[in-house]
Amino acid sequence: MNSIRVPKFDYIIIGAGPAGMAAAITARAHGLSVLVLDEQPSAGGQIFRNIESLEATRNSEFSKLGQEYEFGSSLVRRFKKCGADYFTDRSVWQIDNNLQIHHVSASASKSNSVISHCQAKRLLIAVGAMERPMPLPGWTIPGVMPCTAVDVLYKSSGLIPDGEVVLAGSGPLLLLIGCRLLDVGVHVSAFLDTSMNGALLKALPLLPNALRSHKYLTRGLSLLWKIRKAGIPFYSGIQNIEALGSSKLEKVRIGKSGKFFDVTADLLLLHNGVVPNVQITRNLGCEHRWYDVQRYWEPIVDDWGNTSVDHVSIAGDCGRVAGAAISEVSGHLAALETVYQLGVISKVERDNLSQPHRIELARQKHVRPFLDKLFQPSKTWLVPENDKTLACRCEEVKVSEIRETVRMGIKDPDSLKSMTRCGMGYCQARMCGLTVSEIIAEEKKVSPEEIGYFRVRSPIRPITLGQLAEID
Amino acid sequence: MIKENAEVVVVGGGVIGVSLAYGMVKKGAKVILIDKVDNRLTASRGNFGLVWFQGKGKGMPRYVEWCIEAIERWPEFAENLETETGFDLNYEKTGGLEICLGEEEHQERVNFIEEMSHASRSGRYDCEMISRKELQGMLPKIKLGKEVSGASFCSHDGCVNPLILLKAMNISFQQKGGGYRPEQSVQKIECNSNDFKIETGTHSFKAEKLVIACGLMTPKLAGMVGMKVPVIPERGQILVTERTSRVFNYPTAGIRQNYDGSFMLGSSHEAVGYNIETSYEVLQNIAKRAIRILPSLKNLQLIRSWAALRVLTPDQKPVYLESDQYPGAHAITSHSGVSLASIHSSILVEWILEERIPPGFTAFHPKRFNVQEAI
Amino acid sequence: MFKKQYESHETVSIIFEGKNLDVEIGQTVASALLVGGNMVFRSSVVSGQPRGPYCMMGVCFECLIEIDGIPNQRACMIPVREAMKIKRQQKTKSE
Repeated sequence: MNSIRVPKFDYIIIGAGPAGMAAAITARAHGLSVLVLDEQPSAGGQIFRNIESLEATRNSEFSKLGQEYEFGSSLVRRFKKCGADYFTDRSVWQIDNNLQIHHVSASASKSNSVISHCQAKRLLIAVGAMERPMPLPGWTIPGVMPCTAVDVLYKSSGLIPDGEVVLAGSGPLLLLIGCRLLDVGVHVSAFLDTSMNGALLKALPLLPNALRSHKYLTRGLSLLWKIRKAGIPFYSGIQNIEALGSSKLEKVRIGKSGKFFDVTADLLLLHNGVVPNVQITRNLGCEHRWYDVQRYWEPIVDDWGNTSVDHVSIAGDCGRVAGAAISEVSGHLAALETVYQLGVISKVERDNLSQPHRIELARQKHVRPFLDKLFQPSKTWLVPENDKTLACRCEEVKVSEIRETVRMGIKDPDSLKSMTRCGMGYCQARMCGLTVSEIIAEEKKVSPEEIGYFRVRSPIRPITLGQLAEID
Repeated sequence: MIKENAEVVVVGGGVIGVSLAYGMVKKGAKVILIDKVDNRLTASRGNFGLVWFQGKGKGMPRYVEWCIEAIERWPEFAENLETETGFDLNYEKTGGLEICLGEEEHQERVNFIEEMSHASRSGRYDCEMISRKELQGMLPKIKLGKEVSGASFCSHDGCVNPLILLKAMNISFQQKGGGYRPEQSVQKIECNSNDFKIETGTHSFKAEKLVIACGLMTPKLAGMVGMKVPVIPERGQILVTERTSRVFNYPTAGIRQNYDGSFMLGSSHEAVGYNIETSYEVLQNIAKRAIRILPSLKNLQLIRSWAALRVLTPDQKPVYLESDQYPGAHAITSHSGVSLASIHSSILVEWILEERIPPGFTAFHPKRFNVQEAI
Repeated sequence: MFKKQYESHETVSIIFEGKNLDVEIGQTVASALLVGGNMVFRSSVVSGQPRGPYCMMGVCFECLIEIDGIPNQRACMIPVREAMKIKRQQKTKSE
């Protein structure tokens, strides 16, 4: 590769959500050359998806979304003005050891869209989080979706569900989205609460801290009250959920205390928490650790977001999931660290400049432990009891097959992959990786920390052979 | 320490170790198979799945004959495994191709085939050159690139799903009473007058015979029992595409379409030590060559890639050795563990269990390397 | 099943399974098809099960569909364009 032709930047940021945008703003304020690559057509990440357009053309809806969105809108404006090079519709498919980055159009339907390359001195991964997969029997039937999918459809496309909607799972996001659906007149025919019994009790020790920012707590409680007040059938202590239908979802079978009953449904919206998207950090070889309270892998970082790989840091929810406000702060901090590492400011200057961000972090951060504990994912929904449930959607590998393979003597995920094809499909284990770690851990009676995760290889997302070969 | 006894302990759960262990339990021996902890460097989970003959054995006619015999045994070997386990190995013996681009490659291949035919003792080299036109005739569903000048075709060749092969042999081994002990790392080998004691962190195994077939770790373990077996790692990178309808029905060394419709493309030969990372340039070169051969591949999406380490002796031909110092201890290393699985699980097993030495076996002794060094 | 919450503005005409569909500019292929009540985008490559969009954010690869003759495109990531031809994809069988 002719390195003269490859554009070089001080700082390349992958992801234009709150963390990525904040990092770009701060880095630019100190004069770094910055490139931001994002898959979406506009800035905002998942939470502020399509926010510019919402504010401009659907303003009545925008104002209902709350104060957080005004902050988001302002952040996007500052980002657009900061002078960073910003490429939308770009998907990174390979990052070399020397931080040369190869990317391609995220949306081009013509397979000969061209590959582009760029070179970073320092790299920020700010790709955010994703829904934790919630495998259950029938979860691959069209009409079963994670709850954030309707959020995306609403924000990006102005769509709302039409027909009977069942919500199932646990977590603040499910409550929030449930309320939004009620606000726009969607018919929610049941709310299936899968949160662990006694969850509130367990979380109580952390309550004093959380109350310092009580608005989160009271908002959550008000959401719950709203749902119940709307008269929506609310079931807690659910042990089984099965999606049924021939070519699309027709009903949901619910099991509680040994009794089963069916609810008609056109859409089943699932949620079992939000987990960091570690595909790129795994691909880069960053070290990860298992965060047991919320049952996910997170990259190991220091206070500045530096990973175990030189010159690579993370910010936002692709590390410990903490929401938009903290993501933004972590973006500023990561950028300050980069500015320091590139010799533009001294360590003392970095530390001084970081003070307001650290204070903000402290102010926001205490509520998270409470929420994490309150909404701990329960075992039932991490390791499907029903063996015929598909653990790997892409390759249709059942939970039973994974268990059998572990009992045959296979313990590490990559060997399991060889034996079952689990993780070999298009999504490259994004949807099954956590489930596999959990199943093996349960079989071997150890923590998933000991089991580890699949090796994530290039391409980070599929590209055509023609694109790889760089031919027309 | 868990103590276990057996007639034979096989160290190495890759395709060679498992095929030996499998063959031995079929003969009624009590066998324990030890597999290591770290499965990242295993060649058996990273290979192309060719059951191959053409191109092998240059400079060692005995090996050429060995390969032919292995390949002739393969159909029955596959059928037995399928009957025993119910797994479909996706073994296809269609004949195999080496496709040439341009005149120079073509001429090189012509010369090579001629040389090998002349060297063949049995006269059964069974590999012939075919023209571009004939080749296109064999591939009615896909167009050849402009530069394709022809190919060599060998009717012996075929392909299999190597992962299912590994799984099937392992399961059949266990079903027939073999003891599979994964997550074991051999730390010590004690050589006694009647047996060997093999210690891992948690287990202590005793056996009359010891078979060391653990890929890149073979030299280390073989050294513990008085054998010198040189191997070096060689990296190969492979691309796998999405599934598509079956259009390419013959395997080649660089392109094959799997049973499920995905294309596997390879490969590279890199001396990079124990590095199993993939590299942009190599993956790109593999893609480029594949597109030159079959241009319509350019629209297929690449889903995943990997790199694995081949286990190569200095002349890339097998080493089959019994320790002089400690008879009963054997070391086996070879490229082509998949192609040779049929003969490893039969003839080699007879050598190990019954001391039936195949004719011309000394060809596989590593002293041949010293001879080369001396020269 | 989804519906538009507000009035559509500019539209383009796309062709889904041979039938014309007027969809709003700015929609992705996935959202455009969902509005039309189409939940099934393909049959799975392993067993032929019906599959449709799931995560809507590009990580799950369930919404793969054929666009302008090229299969396996993520519908949730691709904006609609005038005269786009969209087809469901069937499981590819090995022969």
